[in-house]
Amino acid sequence: MSAVKRVQQWATFARTWHVFDCKWQDPYESAGVIKKYLMGLHKPIYHPMNDCGDVVVCINSREIALRGNDWRQRAYFHHTGYPGGATWTLAWELHSKDPTMIIKKAVYRALKGNLQRRHTMERLLIYPGETIPDDIKQNITNQIRQIRLVPTRLDHIPEEEVQKYPKVMEYPEDYVLK
Amino acid sequence: MVFLTVTNLIRVRGPDEIWRKRKIFRLAAAFIGRRRNCYSVAVRNVHRALVYATKARKLKKEDMKELWNTRITAACEQHNISTFTLKEGLDRSNIMLDRKSLSDLAAWEPRTFECLAAVAQKKLEIDGFIDGADKKHPTGVNLNLKDVMLEQWLKEKK
Repeated sequence: MSAVKRVQQWATFARTWHVFDCKWQDPYESAGVIKKYLMGLHKPIYHPMNDCGDVVVCINSREIALRGNDWRQRAYFHHTGYPGGATWTLAWELHSKDPTMIIKKAVYRALKGNLQRRHTMERLLIYPGETIPDDIKQNITNQIRQIRLVPTRLDHIPEEEVQKYPKVMEYPEDYVLK
Repeated sequence: MVFLTVTNLIRVRGPDEIWRKRKIFRLAAAFIGRRRNCYSVAVRNVHRALVYATKARKLKKEDMKELWNTRITAACEQHNISTFTLKEGLDRSNIMLDRKSLSDLAAWEPRTFECLAAVAQKKLEIDGFIDGADKKHPTGVNLNLKDVMLEQWLKEKK
């Protein structure tokens, strides 16, 4: 390593593309993590005037998990500007209309309300399913760790494994399972 | 009716009025429109600007501290340690670096910072200090003082 190249850092200001799997994640918790990467808060060169934010691609936004009874209780407010133009859409309603909207609004809310916010949001790409367009997929180089572990659903465990699993006792033959 | 008495002179504040106003106009030189040309408007805005300047002296320091903290946290995250570990470890090993120096090292001399982080972690390990910090999302590679400081340096072709 020569003396000149010792401090050469070509890719310092390059944008990295991250992928975040929203499956079974709380959108309001994950918004904090996504925000960090969108704003570039994870880089030691961060400065508010420094355009060092990355691109985050969220996948599986249809599979998000809300807390408690948020699906039924959380209402999203919108006003058309005309008298009587206020609408309150419940979370489950909004999610069935547009499965990317809840995570988008969560991240938008997590960001600070300044002039940069809408430009930062441009760098957030959300897809309801697992499929990402190829031109975007080829840029991705990193995966953001999920906040919560996604457990395997009991009915998704293969039948053989269930059979093999050690049991304490067998149910009697005439026992009726609810 | 003409008043020739002293009551006429109440409005006159003295012969050096122009110099008194000039002091204000000098401070208002960078303002726009009537704020810089019209004394009665200028003086109000200059007073307000001076109040802002007074408050900003403190805010500037707070802002810088926040920025340094952000940078140090980001750098610590890369090396898989918490900011608390770094601070406690450096304090214990008698390395008295402040936030500014640490964040400068993190931004401009990442390798130096890596070594410091490794030293801090090793020190806590030697002391038997149990770091209660929640490390749910480790992002970087675990540091090892030996790898960071010695072996890599030896391997490098000079």
